[in-house]
Amino acid sequence: MFLLYIGLDGADLGAGIFALFSKDEEERGAIMASMAGFWDGNETWLVVAGGVLFGAFPLVYGSAFNYLMIPLAVALWAIISRAIAFEFHVHAIGSKRFWGWMFAGGSLVAPFGAGVALGAALQGFPMAHGMALESVPGAHASAFDAVPHFSGNALSFLSPFSLWTGVGAVVAASLAGGLYLCARFLPGDPIHQRAKAWTSGFSLVALAAIAVTLIWSYAIFPWAAAKWTGPDWWFWLAWLVIILGFAYKSMMAHAEQRDFTALLWGEGVVAQLWIALWATMYPYIVPETWTIQSAANPANSLAVFTLFMTGFVPVMILYNWYQIWVFRGRFTKKSVYGGH
Amino acid sequence: MLLENTMPVLLSRLDFAWITSMHILWTPMTIGMSWLLFALEMAWLKTGDERWYKLNRFFEKIFIINFGAGVATGVTMEMAFGILYGPFSQAVGPFFGNILGFETITAFMYEAGFIGLMVFGWGKVSKGMHAFATFNVGLSSTLSAMWILVANSWMQSPNGVVLKHGLFQVTNWWHAILNDNFVWGFPHMWVACLELALFVFAAVSSWFILKNRNADLFTKLLKPTLLALLIVTPIQIFIGDTLGRDVAMTQPTSLAAMEGHYHTYLPNGKVNTGWHLIAFPNAKNDGNSFAITIPHVLSLLETHTWNGKVTGMDSFPAKDRPDVWVPFYAFRAMVAIGFFLFFVALWGNWLRLRGQFNAQALRKHPWFLRSVVFSGFLPYLAIWCGWWTREIGRQPWVVYNLMRTYQGVSHMSVGQEIFWFTGYIVFELVVWSGAWYFFSRVIRKGADDIAPSESLFHHPDAGETDAGRAGGGFAKPTFAKPTMDKSR
Repeated sequence: MFLLYIGLDGADLGAGIFALFSKDEEERGAIMASMAGFWDGNETWLVVAGGVLFGAFPLVYGSAFNYLMIPLAVALWAIISRAIAFEFHVHAIGSKRFWGWMFAGGSLVAPFGAGVALGAALQGFPMAHGMALESVPGAHASAFDAVPHFSGNALSFLSPFSLWTGVGAVVAASLAGGLYLCARFLPGDPIHQRAKAWTSGFSLVALAAIAVTLIWSYAIFPWAAAKWTGPDWWFWLAWLVIILGFAYKSMMAHAEQRDFTALLWGEGVVAQLWIALWATMYPYIVPETWTIQSAANPANSLAVFTLFMTGFVPVMILYNWYQIWVFRGRFTKKSVYGGH
Repeated sequence: MLLENTMPVLLSRLDFAWITSMHILWTPMTIGMSWLLFALEMAWLKTGDERWYKLNRFFEKIFIINFGAGVATGVTMEMAFGILYGPFSQAVGPFFGNILGFETITAFMYEAGFIGLMVFGWGKVSKGMHAFATFNVGLSSTLSAMWILVANSWMQSPNGVVLKHGLFQVTNWWHAILNDNFVWGFPHMWVACLELALFVFAAVSSWFILKNRNADLFTKLLKPTLLALLIVTPIQIFIGDTLGRDVAMTQPTSLAAMEGHYHTYLPNGKVNTGWHLIAFPNAKNDGNSFAITIPHVLSLLETHTWNGKVTGMDSFPAKDRPDVWVPFYAFRAMVAIGFFLFFVALWGNWLRLRGQFNAQALRKHPWFLRSVVFSGFLPYLAIWCGWWTREIGRQPWVVYNLMRTYQGVSHMSVGQEIFWFTGYIVFELVVWSGAWYFFSRVIRKGADDIAPSESLFHHPDAGETDAGRAGGGFAKPTFAKPTMDKSR
């Protein structure tokens, strides 16, 4: 779920970051219009991901949201101001500039907050048994004390590493956005031209960011270091080579103006990295804090949930695809803006 | 009860009350309005009358703004569970989390999928496909309300679970989902959504008739709307009454608070059947310091008998009693609004029977039109009042009789909570004022600038973009695989 969200929304968040550097409102409007019809579909994957997390891993949901409240709230408010800007930009007359900036700014802050949250989650967090809120008179020991709760304070999440992962997420989104815009606008259009240069630049920055993140993680996370240099080191190395191969394919396709292919390879890199991250963390879902086993919903609930899910996910993908299909096709700066 | 309301608990409650109250301003309207938009679209397709199309497109603008605000505040709410009520989220996760998960998958996602088609799909998909999309938006938003009410009703009457290892584990899914409160709670909420949307339609129509703009168009809408309200408003009163008796059975403390009913028996040993019109509960929360009481009415209302016994607050220990002020007065306000709206529906249909139903004649009844405009806001207030009654009546429990509110609150300092509260207030007010600004803009603009429906397929931009070229009413591509084409 999160993967789908990152894959789909990363692109339109990145396009928003791109819009931050747009010279006029017309260009921002065109970029926004190019996403009309499915950006909301992308956003909803986030809500679905949240819902599924609550359903499948309520213990993580309850404790991690408490721990990550500041970065998640920042990301959330950014996403929402962006969503509102989407709705209002078309209607607005005098305040068009304001909504344009809300859209672009929100697109920048959202991946940053989400990246910080991810980095912070990798660090694990303090847990305690007993009542989460002390100081209630007449409180007594209860059955609920059996479940450990988050027990740190509001700023526990903050560290150089988590800030760095925030920056990393912005870089990744920027790259995805560039790839998306290239695929979305007609070659020769001013937006396409600028997006091309943007994408080439960010490809290199993104590669550097991946390298830094890997080295840093290796240095500070014993669980990651143990996996990567354990007996299966050749497997991880091979995986890394495959990821680099994907990135190379994407850059090549981009250079040859096969924009849609480039976008697909780019999404492939994101998917590979994401799966590699989960594989590194296994059996933990939050490193050193919750293992998948202990955090999962009790078995009988989970069975029902999975049953329900597996039936619906293909249907959802189907109508999402239909939606993207209906609104497919390339745009130019002028035409889109006049059309809506 | 008051003892447990330390500052952090109280702030968490206030914070969440604020978040839900702001969210519930938007979603009921989305749910009700989606069905009405579908009705308008069907009327257009069946009769070919362009006016239905115009009305549809006009209200669709309001719908979109409303939907956006609903999603924004809804995502906030989803997060607020984890942030403010971490331990609660963990303990109820096996049931509550699953239900919210189901909601996002089977309803929210479903809705979002079709809403894009509905809003941006005009002229890009066939008319039939578009109507199908609108229908699905209605269906999915109703499903969404259903799941949310499953979750909330379960907190009122937690059936089908056992408490094991600090978690509520489901023993019977059917009992848990179709819990006692849900059976009437959901219809009550759903009809409220419909009633709200109908009154907003009626209020906007009346406003236009009063201003003498597009008056004939909106009179055409007002007719069926008022007829529908004549059916819906009394049904809502009936469902509300049934739900009230359901609450009396499953949540006696909540009902006692709604009615300010402290004593099961009078001092002389007889059953206390008195219904309070006005009551001032005393500070110790064990009786009213002042009340205007009508004998027998409470028994009539709750048991439908002359002398039926209704359990009073004194049957429960002081620490298990909710506060009375809010449920008591919120409940009364809701009921009063319910009856007033029924009266407005009667009034309108009476004018109609007397042949007063054309724009000119209606303007001779400005007080009727003003009442309808005013009635556009009342359902919002009624929904608020109903929700407050429900949520405060359940206190001091977050899951009735099983988990106390303070046990579910996250590990947070007072400063942190104030920070959150302020943040949410600012944020929700921005959403609220933004939405209202655009509502009023849309309404002031009126229905004149809505292009005729043929323009969907022959607009000047058609052909300029690939998307336009693909138009002509069907999603059939006029070119092959556009985005994968190398030469482009």
